[in-house]
Amino acid sequence: MKLKDVISPFYVWQRAFEKPYTNTKPIDTRPGADAYRGFHVNDIDKCVGCSSCQTICQNHAIDMVTTDKNSMPGDSGLRPRFDYGRCCWCALCVDICPSGSLHMSNEYAWVSDDPDSFRFTPGVDEKPWYQHEQGYHRDPNYNLLKLERAEMDMLSTEEGLKSFDEVVSGYNHEQAIAEADRCIECNICIATCPAHMDIPDYIKAIREQDLEEGLRILYKTNPFSATCGRICTHRCEDDCTISHLGKPLAIRWLKRYIIDQIPAENFARILQDSCEENGKKVAIVGAGPGGMSAAYYLRKQGYRVSVYEANKRAGGMLRYGVPTYRLPDDQLDKDIDYIISLGVTMHYETKVGIDIEFNTILDNNDAVFLSTGLNVPSNLRITGEEHPRVVSGLQVLFDTASGNNPNVGQKVAVIGGGNVAMDAARVSRRFGADVTVLYRRRLEDMPADPEEIKEATEEHCHFVTQAIPVKIVPADNPNQAIIHWGEAEMVDDGKGGRPRPILQDDKMHTETYDTIISAIGQSGDYSFLSESIRNDLSLKWHKFEVDDRQRTRIGNIFIGGDVANEVADAVSAIADGHNAAIGIHQYISEKV
Amino acid sequence: MIEALKQRLSEHFQLTNLTIKNAGLAFLWVEKHELEMLLRQLRDFEGYTHLSFIIASDHIEKNQFKLTYMLHNYDTKHDLGVHVDISRVNASMHSIHPLWAQAWTYQRELKEMYGIDFPESPRVDEDFCLEGWDDMPPMRRDFDTVKYCEEHFDDRDGRATEENRQTMKVNIYPERGE
Amino acid sequence: MNLTHDFSPTPEVDLASGKYVKIWHGPQHPGITGNMSLELTLCGDEIVNCKTHVGYLHRGFEKLMERRTYIQNFPLVCRIAVPEPTFNEYLYSAGIEDLAGIEVPELAKWLRCLNLELMRLGSFLMWLGGASGAFGMSTVYQWTVTHRDYILDLFEEMTGARIYHMYISPGGVRAPLPDGFKDRCLMVMKKVEKLLYEVETTVLNNAVFKKRAIGLGVISSDMVDAYGVTGPNQRAAGYARDTRKDSPYLVYEQLDFDVITATGSDAFDRTIVRYQEMHQCVSLIRQMLDRMPTDGAFHTPTPNVLHWKIPAGETYVKAECTRGEYGYYIETDGSEYVRRVHIRGPSYTHAIAVMEKLVIGANIADVAGLMVSLHTYPPEIER
Ligand SMILES: Cc1cc2nc3c(=O)[nH]c(=O)nc-3n(C[C@H](O)[C@H](O)[C@H](O)COP(=O)(O)OP(=O)(O)OC[C@H]3O[C@@H](n4cnc5c(N)ncnc54)[C@H](O)[C@@H]3O)c2cc1C
Ligand code: SF4
Ligand code: SF4
Repeated sequence: MKLKDVISPFYVWQRAFEKPYTNTKPIDTRPGADAYRGFHVNDIDKCVGCSSCQTICQNHAIDMVTTDKNSMPGDSGLRPRFDYGRCCWCALCVDICPSGSLHMSNEYAWVSDDPDSFRFTPGVDEKPWYQHEQGYHRDPNYNLLKLERAEMDMLSTEEGLKSFDEVVSGYNHEQAIAEADRCIECNICIATCPAHMDIPDYIKAIREQDLEEGLRILYKTNPFSATCGRICTHRCEDDCTISHLGKPLAIRWLKRYIIDQIPAENFARILQDSCEENGKKVAIVGAGPGGMSAAYYLRKQGYRVSVYEANKRAGGMLRYGVPTYRLPDDQLDKDIDYIISLGVTMHYETKVGIDIEFNTILDNNDAVFLSTGLNVPSNLRITGEEHPRVVSGLQVLFDTASGNNPNVGQKVAVIGGGNVAMDAARVSRRFGADVTVLYRRRLEDMPADPEEIKEATEEHCHFVTQAIPVKIVPADNPNQAIIHWGEAEMVDDGKGGRPRPILQDDKMHTETYDTIISAIGQSGDYSFLSESIRNDLSLKWHKFEVDDRQRTRIGNIFIGGDVANEVADAVSAIADGHNAAIGIHQYISEKV
Repeated sequence: MIEALKQRLSEHFQLTNLTIKNAGLAFLWVEKHELEMLLRQLRDFEGYTHLSFIIASDHIEKNQFKLTYMLHNYDTKHDLGVHVDISRVNASMHSIHPLWAQAWTYQRELKEMYGIDFPESPRVDEDFCLEGWDDMPPMRRDFDTVKYCEEHFDDRDGRATEENRQTMKVNIYPERGE
Repeated sequence: MNLTHDFSPTPEVDLASGKYVKIWHGPQHPGITGNMSLELTLCGDEIVNCKTHVGYLHRGFEKLMERRTYIQNFPLVCRIAVPEPTFNEYLYSAGIEDLAGIEVPELAKWLRCLNLELMRLGSFLMWLGGASGAFGMSTVYQWTVTHRDYILDLFEEMTGARIYHMYISPGGVRAPLPDGFKDRCLMVMKKVEKLLYEVETTVLNNAVFKKRAIGLGVISSDMVDAYGVTGPNQRAAGYARDTRKDSPYLVYEQLDFDVITATGSDAFDRTIVRYQEMHQCVSLIRQMLDRMPTDGAFHTPTPNVLHWKIPAGETYVKAECTRGEYGYYIETDGSEYVRRVHIRGPSYTHAIAVMEKLVIGANIADVAGLMVSLHTYPPEIER
């Protein structure tokens, strides 16, 4: 044994007077590191109650509870409540939070003799650490969510302009699976969808590659899925929870994917809609999406359904308005033919009020559903608009859909900023015209779908905004007309609403066009209803007043679609049709 | 390398399957009765001197347990997993405790956690992790931990949660849709 | 090789004879070996038989993992070995990545490796304190645990937590290094290095320690493979085997280090090996801080974790932890849940078969020292 080995242990005295590294709580406090995973903080106004935090928590530490936030589209109103008896501060909940509302402070000490106090709702129950700036925030480059959309193949602008072929190709298998994978199944979108479709469920069916199940889910709430998968206003996507940090799910295109993969002839086998006759009769006026959707759900319950339609074919504005490059005829037929195949009696070219009296229909049926749509174009209300080269957007689209060239000429002005204006403009481009869109407000005020505006721009439609038409005068060439329009100044309305355009008399322009297309709105034609019925039904702002089941003040009359709902889009009409079917079924069942 | 090994082994054993995961890892399947001989061969003549572990996984849908004997060859730096499928009914397997001194511990654990018997294995009936366990061997797939907990423990009061879809339906569109 | 374990039953002990006594060593321990117990039969102060008992830390992790989604397992696995959680995080992620075919970005590999080596150092510091304590030098324990705390401070910065880092997640890591980390880390390395020299003086050159540790618990070289001995326990028996070298993972191939061995194969040499490996950690950490990329991606996006399915398959991934071969066997069946996970920890054999063998004939006073010299963690036995 060496002497050194005996002496060296005494070296320990060296450190005898060192300060300990521990600290004396509560006199000293040592804050957690900048990114410490301490107690939770939730920005309660940003949180949308999607429950993803609850879903991912492997410890069942989170409950979703009612707070004073109201449920509204895009926000369930629920907020996460944490049970610190179970939490392990893993911050998976923070990582997944799609609104970015949830994070953690660097506070880690909390002393209480009441065990129940360790259950709390961050952001609602006051806690001292909410003000801490430090604490764990998900690193922006660490993403559990997929924020980008799966790419969609489309025709190039040049290709698109050459014909009326569909522009969007639809997802292929890989794209659909990738897109479906992004869904977090928070169910928030269901409330926003006017038809309350089971969106996360059919997206799941895509992921699981069970498209037949997907089809069944679609038809539970929407018999127009081939259509909606293409041209729906997709308001669900506006409220998609993923949209807070990334691009919303392409819900519409996923719906289309399911339908596109299943041939029409397989529908009957997959859907197994039985339609046991119940001996009751219901008539429907208008074979648009509203009417046909009602027909589907009524037929499924066994009603004898007769549909009266003024046009040659069913589909309403979807057929005679929406151009085929957005919704090809055969796709619309796929939806409609299946409905008709269930045994719906169609009376085409039968305009109610002219070819058959409304009261006859009313008397011969147990109930009637009206979904006659808005097909009377609104006037520009300026002098000279009766000039033959001033035509309505609806007319141009109707002609196009009917296979007649609307002969718009080389130079076209479209007046308006809604979807009809965009369609009329893009259709005119396809007929080879140079198109200028005149809109009275700013670009951001345009009611048209942003995608439509984008695509119209790409197709070289010129947008002139803050342009108010003043009058139309004949040109030297009888096949042309001259428009006088003035620049508008946007003036605050003083009430916090959107600014109003005010004409500036000194900034006038004139321009000659082959065709001036007016597309500033449309309204319904209710002349087929007798005065007394019209009065009883009660119209408000040209729309009929109905309740959630499309009931009117007259027991056996139900109304839906564009003539009843404010939004006037296809899916709302479809939802109205479905709800009318439920309402009618209740009404007839109760009457018996 | 592994192909050559397979060749050599196939002369004596019925290898039912071989999957090569990567340069350092492969799995092969052998019949139950050949396992011990095969392991001996691998250990004594093929350089697989190290036993990393023995485990079972429950393939209840096939009514089988899959046993895995993970071996390592220190010279070739190669891991070889040897699989044996055995019946789940009266599950039983030959002990390899004479081959590796830690094998009996694994076998004792397998008896406790899966109910697989190793009749000759020393102390195989002694409790391993569990004390006084009288339920089904807990690692079997059909042992439901949640159900067990619900039957044996109480939840703390004060927890209740709501669900988005229903909440939003009730609050936003009670009268619409189905 | 045909060395079998000695299963001869306890010698006929007639407790009434007064010659034998049975005592329980554990499950609570004066040291850091964790909760397990040795049922010892003594004759005088010499051990004639030993039976190990485990189960005090059994939480059924492997079973729990079968019912949790892939992402949900990631915060769970670190709990399997308390003093060294990171190896679980790394191996779980590596296994999942292997089965799901995910390639991890370069920076993430460096960060993972840095994390693992810091962990090794922290874990060894704790062990060193425990080892000193077990041989009656508790003062040193205070020092090493303080220095481990410095490392935990680094973890806190780097990962957001001191013990359960939950930093290495499938796809990469959760965050890049915070600003100024390198300097602070180097400062801690300096302190640790100074401490190591002090420990060398006070412990490794300590007459009492030498007297007790030299010759204690010799693992004969033919025991090594027969018992599945790995890690420093194996290297102290003269085997130059180290997973970091033999089957390099992460960035070890790019680092400069040698496998450390010794020949005595007793408690003393095992201490020396670990002591040198601590110096090696410091060197590896310095090399990494020096060479690692400073920016770039640190996480490869996985499929949506809320419904992530992994194709059916199986794999075994392993790493060299402080105690030897740490491995994850993972089997998937195409669903959202793993079919089977097995966590192979070196203590499984070191603390049971090896311990039961070595302790025979030892003096009761040396049991704690012997056990700690094997560096065992019961939680990785029971999982
Ligand atoms: C150009 C254009 C583009 C559009 N683009 C979109 C879009 O991209 N996405 C979207 O969601 N929505 C779009 N819409 C709106 C959508 O088409 C309508 O909201 C939807 O068609 C309304 O359905 P409905 O059943 O209420 O009425 P309609 O579809 O208008 O159908 C009414 C039917 O009733 C018939 N009818 C009317 N009166 C009588 C009568 N007296 N006797 C017999 N039959 C009668 C009509 O001939 C018509 O077929 C667009 C509309 C237009 C005009
Ligand atoms: S994940 Fe985020 S947004 Fe969703 S409920 Fe939780 S805290 Fe709110
Ligand atoms: S930190 Fe982890 S354990 Fe705690 S509530 Fe969030 S997800 Fe659950």
